[in-house]
Amino acid sequence: MYIFPLIKYSYLQRVRNYNFLITLCASLAVAYTFVPAPDANYSTIRIVDYVGHYNSAWFGYVSAIMSSLFLSLVGFYLINGGIKIDIQTKVGQIIATTKVNNSTYLFSKVISGFLILLTILGIVLIMNIALFHLYNENFPFEIFQFIKPYLIITIPTLFCIAVLAVAFEVFFRKYIILQNIGFFFLFSFLMLSSRTREDYFSFDMLGTQIVMNKMENQVRELTQGDRIKELSIGYVIGNKNATKKFHFNGMEFPYSFVISRILWVTLGALLIFLITGFFHRFSLNEKSVQKTPKIAIKTGITNKEIYISGLSKLTTNFSILPLLKTELLLLIRKGEKWFWFINTIGMLLLAILPLEIAHQFVLPILWFSQVSRISELTTKEFTNKVHYFAFASFKPLHRLLISQLLASSILLIFLAIPLLARLILVSNFIALSSIILGGIFLVFLAAAFGIITKGKKLFEIVFFMITYININKIPFMDYFGALSQNNFLPIKLTICILTLGSVVFCIRNYQLKTS
Amino acid sequence: MKLEIQNVSKRYSGNKYGLEGFSINIEKGILGLLGPNGAGKSTLLKMIATVSKPSNGQIILNKNNVIKDPNYMRKQIGFLPQDFGVYPNLNAFEFLKYMAAMKGVGGKHLNSKITELLEGLNLMDTAHKPIGSYSGGMKQRIGIAQALLNDPKVLIFDEPTVGLDPEERMRFRDLIHQLANDAIVILSSHIVSDIDTVADKVAIMKNGNLLAYGDQEELINNVKGKVFETTIDKNTLNEFKQNHLVVHSLIKGNSAIVRFISQQQPDGALAQQPTLEDAYLYTTKTS
Repeated sequence: MYIFPLIKYSYLQRVRNYNFLITLCASLAVAYTFVPAPDANYSTIRIVDYVGHYNSAWFGYVSAIMSSLFLSLVGFYLINGGIKIDIQTKVGQIIATTKVNNSTYLFSKVISGFLILLTILGIVLIMNIALFHLYNENFPFEIFQFIKPYLIITIPTLFCIAVLAVAFEVFFRKYIILQNIGFFFLFSFLMLSSRTREDYFSFDMLGTQIVMNKMENQVRELTQGDRIKELSIGYVIGNKNATKKFHFNGMEFPYSFVISRILWVTLGALLIFLITGFFHRFSLNEKSVQKTPKIAIKTGITNKEIYISGLSKLTTNFSILPLLKTELLLLIRKGEKWFWFINTIGMLLLAILPLEIAHQFVLPILWFSQVSRISELTTKEFTNKVHYFAFASFKPLHRLLISQLLASSILLIFLAIPLLARLILVSNFIALSSIILGGIFLVFLAAAFGIITKGKKLFEIVFFMITYININKIPFMDYFGALSQNNFLPIKLTICILTLGSVVFCIRNYQLKTS
Repeated sequence: MKLEIQNVSKRYSGNKYGLEGFSINIEKGILGLLGPNGAGKSTLLKMIATVSKPSNGQIILNKNNVIKDPNYMRKQIGFLPQDFGVYPNLNAFEFLKYMAAMKGVGGKHLNSKITELLEGLNLMDTAHKPIGSYSGGMKQRIGIAQALLNDPKVLIFDEPTVGLDPEERMRFRDLIHQLANDAIVILSSHIVSDIDTVADKVAIMKNGNLLAYGDQEELINNVKGKVFETTIDKNTLNEFKQNHLVVHSLIKGNSAIVRFISQQQPDGALAQQPTLEDAYLYTTKTS
């Protein structure tokens, strides 16, 4: 069987990646907040004023639901790119010449990605069991109440995410922008498509609606009221004093639901077999050669020689403008040309839609669609193996890094110009400065994460989360003044930018000196 | 023009060294750096190019400590790394302009200099195509062009002939001969034929140490009277290799013509004129 070594080494390759460790640490930090500490001033799952007593069922179900949502959100960005690595390392070309067929290869990528997510999930589960004992409210520890929701809700969801990660790579090939944006919209659709009827719970890929419905019904019985449409998922700060507690004892999942979860996994596996016909099997170069005109390589003897003494003499020029120009060119040419058509539509929408919608929804999505451009801001030297030139250049910190930061800031601010112009017309200078500083903040965040992790994944995951949170109007991650416009936001953003800027310069300087 | 490498070490972890107590003085001309894979050649060159910093020791260029002031070296260095890349979406002109900006050179003659380099390196026809569509040899020539942009006084070429066809190799050799008139040229390779036709001096490295350094003649003299050739039965070749230091062998029918190094002349073996390859193998295999 070829598949087991393929899974094993693909898994090991990913686990030994620095990005995995970073994401694991970040996941644990986030998972720590899934079930708030007893004295915490926020809630994650709350039904009107009610949260559950901290028994095994509440701990297990809440952490399973939050894991299902959180790991779906970040897991895709963590595990996608498995095929791309094989393209970059040219291992794919070797695999293409072996007996391994497409379905075996793709399935191995799904399973190794799934195992990555399971590894994180396993550690999150252990941490939640530890937290249960730490926050002990004298309820007995019931392991089955913990494990059952993970088995039925979270694990099938993660398998589907692993399938989607591979399917997106197969369909969108090297178009990473489309993969990122496509999943963003798919996830938003899955979250927004609320299913309240029992018949439809089976169609919920994330598998969380059935439990939330059960919690709502239980609180409805308690309050004898039916105004229970105020279940909130996510981080709601404050309102701690009004919190009441109820006993949640888990639920018996209907057979139809359990079968639907198995069907989701089966459907995912089937999807992989169905898409094998679309898999490029690493023949991407052939296609790109067909697209680009063939270059005639001269093989005949040429009379031209280089005479060193006759070469034109150059003068010293320490201006960063030529660097800035090329950095802008690199940003503009990244990705497909037609994607600029989408950007143009985004800018048009910024110009014509109501100001609030343009600011709250269009701008963050338009900026997020540049994720693959700015996530590589400080790592592209390494991915393109140009770092030897960059690090041996004259004053790389003061010239090259600054030109990179400037170019990306110009790009994001350029995309926001229609909105900025409208804000000038209505004299909303707080929002105007917040947007400009928000764009710069994103650039510095990308640079900092890129320099610290030496990869782009962490920024992509964080950017995705920030964008999703902002579109859902959760104010504490508002970095561009869409939800809260006050005088302090530009000051806070400036402080953040200066802090990130210091981090960026200090670490890159350290890297240059100690490499 | 003098480059002094003084007791330079590069320690990776624990007692693992990429380079250990390495010292050499380099003056104008071509220095050929020979050594097997993993000898520390690229580690040394990256440190001279200021891409990497030594754990210990000094690198002095014209009495300036380039570890403390790397920009002094960066102003006058041309570096062609062993495994470099390019931005595939830029064309040759744009990439070289970018490299010029990185090096801090420009002015009104920049376009004409890039044109001269591209013409001389046979890349003018494709200068406006994205570099992503170039062959390996073409990318290597782009690398050579960028190294020459800033009229460098120290030129470092790490395995420069990889991907070049025989004609291009010949042109490259002519080029570095010209460069050596006015600059220090360090040329690293594990292929002796890349070095023996051009290098004024040769340094042989192994396991992060300098084994031998001097003129080609000096190094070759070390194996004078120790190089022989003989014809043996091809079935005994493996046994022969176990008992002798074989430089190369050629199988013809049932016989094998073997060139080898030995302290004493065996019966039936004919003494041969030693070459740099003999000296290199003798130095690396017996140290």
